[in-house]
Amino acid sequence: MTSTVTAPEADEQHSSASGAHLVRKKRLFFPFFLPAVTLYVLFLVVPTIATVVLGFTSWAGAGDTPRFIGIGNYAELMGSDSFRYAFLNTLLYIVVGGVGTFLLAFLFTMVLRDMRGGKIVRAVLFFPNIVAPVALGMFFGIILIFRPNRQGLVNHLLESVGVDAVKFLAPENVTWVVTACLIWASSGFYITILMAAVDRIPPYLYEDADIAGATPWQKFRNVTLPLTWDVIGVAGVLWTISAIKIFELVFVLAGPGTYSPQIRAWTLGIYVFDRSFGTAGSPQYGMACAAAVVMILLVSVLVVLLRRLMRRDTIQF
Amino acid sequence: MSSTVESKPAVAVRPVRTPPRKPKPAPGSRGFSPLRLLGMIFVWLFTAVNVLVLYWLVSASFKTPIEIFSKPFALPLQWFERGDPFRNFAYAWNNAGFGHAFVVTVVLVAVSSVVIVLVSAPAAYALSRLGVRGSNGLTNFVAIGMGIPFQTVVIPLFIGMGKLGLTNNLFGMFLIYVALSIPFTVFLLTGFFKSLPDELEEAAAIDGASPFRTFFAIMLPLTRGGLITALILNAIGLWNETLLAIVFLNENANFTLARALFSFYGAASYQSEYGGLIAGVAIVVLPMLVLYVLLARRIITGLTLGAGK
Repeated sequence: MTSTVTAPEADEQHSSASGAHLVRKKRLFFPFFLPAVTLYVLFLVVPTIATVVLGFTSWAGAGDTPRFIGIGNYAELMGSDSFRYAFLNTLLYIVVGGVGTFLLAFLFTMVLRDMRGGKIVRAVLFFPNIVAPVALGMFFGIILIFRPNRQGLVNHLLESVGVDAVKFLAPENVTWVVTACLIWASSGFYITILMAAVDRIPPYLYEDADIAGATPWQKFRNVTLPLTWDVIGVAGVLWTISAIKIFELVFVLAGPGTYSPQIRAWTLGIYVFDRSFGTAGSPQYGMACAAAVVMILLVSVLVVLLRRLMRRDTIQF
Repeated sequence: MSSTVESKPAVAVRPVRTPPRKPKPAPGSRGFSPLRLLGMIFVWLFTAVNVLVLYWLVSASFKTPIEIFSKPFALPLQWFERGDPFRNFAYAWNNAGFGHAFVVTVVLVAVSSVVIVLVSAPAAYALSRLGVRGSNGLTNFVAIGMGIPFQTVVIPLFIGMGKLGLTNNLFGMFLIYVALSIPFTVFLLTGFFKSLPDELEEAAAIDGASPFRTFFAIMLPLTRGGLITALILNAIGLWNETLLAIVFLNENANFTLARALFSFYGAASYQSEYGGLIAGVAIVVLPMLVLYVLLARRIITGLTLGAGK
């Protein structure tokens, strides 16, 4: 008897208390969220919008007032050699560097899956990812020096086996050298991501494939690839947004360090920097902003494209 | 005939229950295909090259320029013979300003990373656990910030900070570092907060804890692992950060390590001061190596967390 009477009461009490609690919880939202989002909006969103607006102005920099010129900057960018090199090099690093990095990562996943010491290999390969790109660039700059009689490490090795030394850092070669360095330095990160996904694949699938006499390639093509597809997609997006901003590595590897390298080695990041904060020539902030807008557009287009390409129904396993 | 005789005792001897599946067979027991062998050789060669590169870097930082280029793999000798083995490090530390930059970087990175986590953790909690409508949209709005290249914001930021007198100023640098690290940190921490079970919050509420107290006394300590990961990853990122330091710091007294290394490069290669330069590179890299050796697992899982889901 008593229980039937008290039960609804307790229930009511509980629900109103939990309702009040919910309200108090929601009241916490703004004090918790506002500090972070204020900083985010002030330092990232507003400047991005400002860059888009300033991209339509002719503006030499501090001391000058921006003057609206419509798409004049973009027209000028199209016609300029330095921008063309910057754009094509950036695209090259994203596409060729990306394909190279992922091919290497796939190769490693095929081998590493059941290899003794795989954990150690992964840990060693990952390390370059937490080294400052500026330090990596200098390191490569030193070991790739071409200087007869006092060669850098790589040319020293080439000469010691009787091969002619190569001018790695000459304008016509440096883009490919940077691509190779990029693949070397970033493969560890993507190997780790892909291996984490591969480790989640149930081993019996591989055992089945073994029993059926599958080759490593067949196992990769028919088991690994389909079951890691989504992770590959995310990794591809990560690659794109990190490769678009390549700057320090190329800047110190291809150039003398303090000044920008010659334009054939430029990336969009270097273009923006050179036109605004570079020490040579007069600054053109308007042009730099327009080039920065191109960077955002490029990264957005590539990410959307990649997501489209990689889209498919998820596989449950 | 003989087979039935043989099989019967085998069945009888077998234990009543066998485990459902054998644990993974020992690696390498599967029989080698030549392709696989080739792959393994390649993988180990690649790894060996990486280790060799690290050896080269560390040994070269104790060498004279002549040794660096003529005997790249020999152990350092000349500076040791002259009784001054740390000559390169002393040069970088004192003459190239790395000593001062080291102190600046340690303080700036430590303070910034702590503040980043202090600001981001409540925001991540608010977005992931308070059940406010529109949280998902707001999370995406913040996460998009990870895709914005710094080059895009650097010009307006430079002008704005200049107006406030905060360029070439370590406090200004600190503000920028904190603000620009928020998207990644909030995104990382929402993942950690989401993984906690609802029951904990409910239990705390029933016990009469205010939502504020629930956050500080229960949820925050439970995500300690995530907070530490966020702290370490931000510290690594800021330690290596160069572009913003180049733009916003232009006085030796304010230089961070990466910034000091950047301006030292031109001068060092001009004067063939390669020993000092490599020592400078080592001063930037070796602390990261130590951190990595101690915390490799946490760093790797933290950095690859977002992609694995």
